[in-house]
Amino acid sequence: MSAPQPEPLDLKTQMTRAAASLHKPSPAKATAVTSDLSIDETLLLHSVGWEPVDLVFGASIVSVPAGVWNWGNGEIVQASEAHTKAVEEACRHTERQCSHVKGFGVVGVGVDVAIHPHHIDVRLLGTAVRPTKPNAAEKRQFDTRGGFISDLSARDFVLLRQAGWAALGLTFGTSFVYAPRRSAGTVLQQKGQNVELTNLTTAMYAARESAMERMQASALSLGGQGVVAVRVNEGPVTFASHSIQFSAIGTAVSLATDAHQYCQPQVVLPLDDILVQFDATSLRH
Amino acid sequence: MTTYSDVPSESEGRLSAPAFSSGLTVPDFAACLEMGLEPVGLVQGYCVMKWSWYGASSPYMRGMGPLRSNDQPRAYSEAFQCPHGFIAGDHVTWGQNFEQTLVESAWEQGFLSAYTRLLEEATEAGGHGVIGLIDTVRPLTDQAVIEFHLLGTAVVVRGAPGPPDGHPWSTYLAGQRLVKLIEAGFMPVSVAATLASVQVWPYCMTEYYLRGQGGNFNWSPRFPTAEIEQLSRAQIAVCHLAREHVRAQLGSDTLYGATMATSDHEANGGSILECTLRGNRVRRFKDFDPLDPPRPTVRLT
Repeated sequence: MSAPQPEPLDLKTQMTRAAASLHKPSPAKATAVTSDLSIDETLLLHSVGWEPVDLVFGASIVSVPAGVWNWGNGEIVQASEAHTKAVEEACRHTERQCSHVKGFGVVGVGVDVAIHPHHIDVRLLGTAVRPTKPNAAEKRQFDTRGGFISDLSARDFVLLRQAGWAALGLTFGTSFVYAPRRSAGTVLQQKGQNVELTNLTTAMYAARESAMERMQASALSLGGQGVVAVRVNEGPVTFASHSIQFSAIGTAVSLATDAHQYCQPQVVLPLDDILVQFDATSLRH
Repeated sequence: MTTYSDVPSESEGRLSAPAFSSGLTVPDFAACLEMGLEPVGLVQGYCVMKWSWYGASSPYMRGMGPLRSNDQPRAYSEAFQCPHGFIAGDHVTWGQNFEQTLVESAWEQGFLSAYTRLLEEATEAGGHGVIGLIDTVRPLTDQAVIEFHLLGTAVVVRGAPGPPDGHPWSTYLAGQRLVKLIEAGFMPVSVAATLASVQVWPYCMTEYYLRGQGGNFNWSPRFPTAEIEQLSRAQIAVCHLAREHVRAQLGSDTLYGATMATSDHEANGGSILECTLRGNRVRRFKDFDPLDPPRPTVRLT
C-alpha cells in the first residue's frame, strides 16, 4: 500500500493570500537576507534544514614582478606563488565575511581568475548559509574547522549531505611552467615532419603534476578524504605562449557519518519525446 | 521623480483597450493563469541619462578634491601614504580609494525614473503587479549617454485587493519560478537594483606593483610577489557598498536570485571599479514550512 500523497496547494488561494499580505506591515525585527541562489536552490536548502544568510565575497590582487614571463627553464615559481597567494587571500576575506554574518559555510562560490602580465586577480562570490537548527555534528565541525567555502551548487551540496559527506573547503593547485626551447638542430630536423612536440607535452605534464599535488596537499591540510567537482584549466598563457598554465580547483570533502549513505535514486522513464538536437535537413539549401 | 502625467496619452488608449499584451512566453503565461494572475498589458519604462564630466576640473580629478570625504561623512574613503618620503617631483606620495556618490546617485536616478514610469503604466492598465521584468542598461549613441529600459507584464491578482498605496509590486520572476516562490511562502515586493562606484587613485606602491616592480627599491633581479593592497581593498569595498545599498532598500525583507557584476576601466589617472547588484525583494507571508527533502531521480532515456 503506497503512502498517502500530500494535498496539492491551491495556488490561486496562496497567490491571493500573498498579495493581501502586502497590506500588513513588514516584521520590524527581521534581518535582511541577501542571496544569489535561485529560488529552487533556496527551497532545496530549506528542505534539508539550511538557509541562506548573506551574499559574501572576497578579492585579492597580487603582483607578478617584471621579467617573470621571459623564457626560462622549469617552473615559473613567482607566477605560481602569486596565483596561490591571490586565491588564499580571497578565500580568507570570504571566510571572514562568512563568520561575520554567522554563516556555517559558503556555497555556490563563483571563482573568477584573471591573469595579467604584472598581476593576478582573484574574485570569489557566493552565499553564506547555515543550518536553521544546527545539530551537534554541525556545531562541532563549525567550532573545530570554522566555516567552509565550496564551489558546489546548492543542489550538489544537498546531495553531498544526503550521501553522508561534508564539504570542508575550497582546494586548489596551480603551476606555471616554461615550455623548454627546442634546439636549432631539432627545429630543422622536425621541419616538414608530423611529430610530437615533446617539449610542450613535457611542460604540460610538469605543470599538471605540480598543480594536482598542490591541490591534494591543500585538501589534506583541511582534513579531507577527497576532492569533488574538480575543474581544470590548462593551456598557454595568453600573453606568453611559451608559458604553460595548469590550475585545478575543487571542494575537499570528508565522511560526516560512519559510512557512505546510498541515496537510492528513483528511476524514472520520461514519456515526452527527446528533443531533436541536430536536424540534418537544415543543412540543405 | 516623475508623476502619473508622464504616461503618454497614446499609451492611455492602448492600456485601457479590452485586449491584453504580454511579454510572457507561453509556458510562463500558462503558469501565470494557473495561479490566478491575469495579464493586462506589456508595460515599459525608459530614461536616458547624460553622464557628466568627471575628469579635468571636476571634483573627481586627482588633486582637485583629495581626501574629500568631509562633505559626505558616510561615503567610503580610504587614503594610502607613501612609505618612502620625498624622492622626486613625480613620485606619487599619496593615493586614495573613494566612493563616487554622484555617479551612484545619477545611476539610481536613471533606474528609478525608468522603474517609476513602468509602474505608472502598470497602474494605468489596472495592474496589481509586474512580472517577468527585464532591465537593460546600455550606452546610447555614445559612452556618456546611458539608456535605462525596463519591460514587464502587468498582471491582476483575481480576488485580491489592489496593492497598498496603489503602487504595484514587481519581480524579475515569472512562470514556474514565481509559482515556486509563492509555494515557498514568499511574496514579491519589488525588484532591487543598485550601482556602486569606487575611484582608485594609485599611490607609489600600487604604481610600482602594476609596472612589475617591487615597492621597496630592492634592485635585485627578482622582486617578490606581494598583494596590491589598495586594489584588493577597492574590489572588496565596491562589492560591500553595492550590498549595503541594496540592504538599505530591503528593510527587513529578503533579496533572492541576486546577480552581482563588477567591471573596471581606466579613468582620471587611475581606475574606476563599478559593481551592479540586482535581485528580487521578497517578503514571507506564511510561516516557515519547508518542503520534504526531494527524492533523487535517474532518467532512463
